[in-house]
Amino acid sequence: MTVTGVAIEQQSQRARSSALLLLLKLRTFIALILVFGFFAVMAPNFLSIENIVIVSKHVAINAILAIGMTFVILTGGIDLSVGSIVGLVGMIAGGLIDYGIHLPMFGVIIYPSVFELTLMALLVGALIGGINGILITRLSVAPFIATLGMLYVARGAALLLSGGATFPNLVGSPQLGNEGFPVYGDGRLLGIPYPIIIMAVMAVIAAYVAIRTPFGRRVYAVGGNERAAALSGVRVNRIKLAVYMISGFCAAVAGLIVSSQLVASHPANGETFELSAIAAAVLGGTSLSGGRGSIGGTIIGAFVIGVLGDGLVMMGVSEFWQMVVKGLVIIAAVVLDQLQRRVAASRRA
Amino acid sequence: MTLTRRMAMLALASATTMLLAVGAHAADQKLIVIITPSHDNPFFAAEASAADAKAKALGYTTQVYSHDDDASKQDQLFDSAIAAHASAIILDNAGADASIAAIKKAKDAGIPSFLIDREINATGVAAVQIVSNNYQGATLGAQAFVTAMGEKGNYVELTGKQSDTNAGIRSKGYHDVIDQYPDMKMVAQQSANWDQNEAFSKMESILQAHPEVNGVIAGNDTMAMGAIAALKAAGRKDVIVTGFDGSNDVRDAVLAGTAKATVLQPAAREAEYAVELADKFLKDGKTGVDEKISMDCVLIDASNAKNLDTFALKG
Repeated sequence: MTVTGVAIEQQSQRARSSALLLLLKLRTFIALILVFGFFAVMAPNFLSIENIVIVSKHVAINAILAIGMTFVILTGGIDLSVGSIVGLVGMIAGGLIDYGIHLPMFGVIIYPSVFELTLMALLVGALIGGINGILITRLSVAPFIATLGMLYVARGAALLLSGGATFPNLVGSPQLGNEGFPVYGDGRLLGIPYPIIIMAVMAVIAAYVAIRTPFGRRVYAVGGNERAAALSGVRVNRIKLAVYMISGFCAAVAGLIVSSQLVASHPANGETFELSAIAAAVLGGTSLSGGRGSIGGTIIGAFVIGVLGDGLVMMGVSEFWQMVVKGLVIIAAVVLDQLQRRVAASRRA
Repeated sequence: MTLTRRMAMLALASATTMLLAVGAHAADQKLIVIITPSHDNPFFAAEASAADAKAKALGYTTQVYSHDDDASKQDQLFDSAIAAHASAIILDNAGADASIAAIKKAKDAGIPSFLIDREINATGVAAVQIVSNNYQGATLGAQAFVTAMGEKGNYVELTGKQSDTNAGIRSKGYHDVIDQYPDMKMVAQQSANWDQNEAFSKMESILQAHPEVNGVIAGNDTMAMGAIAALKAAGRKDVIVTGFDGSNDVRDAVLAGTAKATVLQPAAREAEYAVELADKFLKDGKTGVDEKISMDCVLIDASNAKNLDTFALKG
């Protein structure tokens, strides 16, 4: 073989590997198109506008949790408490609507308006995230352990609020001035349900923050190499505290939507939601070791999981198979992620 | 020996004395331990509080625990009950097979177990097994469902957690009745794991695939509530919904017209009866009844819903 022959051979190899790399980079998106196409053929009525709206509404809850989770995972952390925060925040909102705040020393019961109780709920979510952050940064508890502990504490607190019962019928009343809570779940703007709009707005803000702001760059820096980030002047603890607060806030938003849709708060709401949120982030290419990932990828990941779940239900596939398929998709995503890293590394070499 | 170690020894010794004193105190007032699944389901909360109230009324001290449907946690709770020298255990168990060893261990330690709500796959181990007749209840619910549907139409079945025996028994009871009507067509059957939110989103998807649905029969009340929320979101007022359990939530839905019926399991009564039998056993050395006791369920519909409160019918 001549010298030019070798060069051409190398060149075509490079072209092949770059095409492969592109395919691998777009893998989540390709997966989404594949599952979408599959259900369009297999599930009756899957492609109707109305159904796509409903699938998106189901995705919204997981996607909102996954946005917060992505920030946490980008720093190399994990937040297992979000599902429990969903339950707790829903119970706080439900309790405030049905029973108000008792102030025995003044002999009054205050019923906050929906706007006020929304602010309180979001604040509670961010505060719980803040406690996670303080445990992790100030007391050096590993993120997995700190948020696992919070998973139990928040779930227990949710159960304690009602002794395990549901707060039903969260419609409020005009006399108490607390009507309107169900609007978060079933309200629509230009025909689009609020949960989808909330997801879209949060995703755009989160993507902007992650890519365009100094804060976003510091989040990536902390996850990429914490020591290097600290040495170059990033206040690592502040960044970490902030990402857990963002995650708690996102969980509170999701909690309000879940309770609003059901027009009832159940203390077990949100169980295992944290796992779906982690799955969405990982499917979307976020590396569990931190420093790599994107909000856009996470949203696509959440759609893959949501479309799979809803499509299989519409086809009438049993619950057991749904679990198997979901698990296989997550494993396949990580395998492909590793393959992409190897191909990229071999190109650099 | 350093001073701190000496103090630690002293503290340990006094703690032991206190524990012994507590143990001695507990011995004059007999202890009944009540173990049920998680109280986040109001059904189990009602069961536990009925047993607790009855036991206290009969002069016992009580400890109330939840095994969260985890057989190994249940086993640990049994160990604690044995260590605490309980006189009797009231149990809604965590698995028909997985619970047998724990109950036998308590029996060998001289502590009889009184089972409620769920059976185990063994006899001669528990003192009694008081179970509501889920099959009979399911046929009642199915009959009411078929009648409300006018004996024809397309329906959806939401089943419970598929590993739970009662989910299977209820589904069988439903089908043994409904399948006799050739014009009743099941268009979808999904497990929603007894969960309200899961029932909500699955029902929304099913409504998209099968807009022709005009009935939903749910394996329990929380799933029925999820289906009702999904139907409301879709603006469907024409769909018949029935549940199972007799919770206050579905009672209110029946009164409001969004659900047709539910089936009451006499949870509170079962729990009280178990405590009464435990009391008799501790006094006389026997319960005087067969080990397996089946209690019939009651249909709750618009005619009697207003008399239902926390799993008990009044008047």
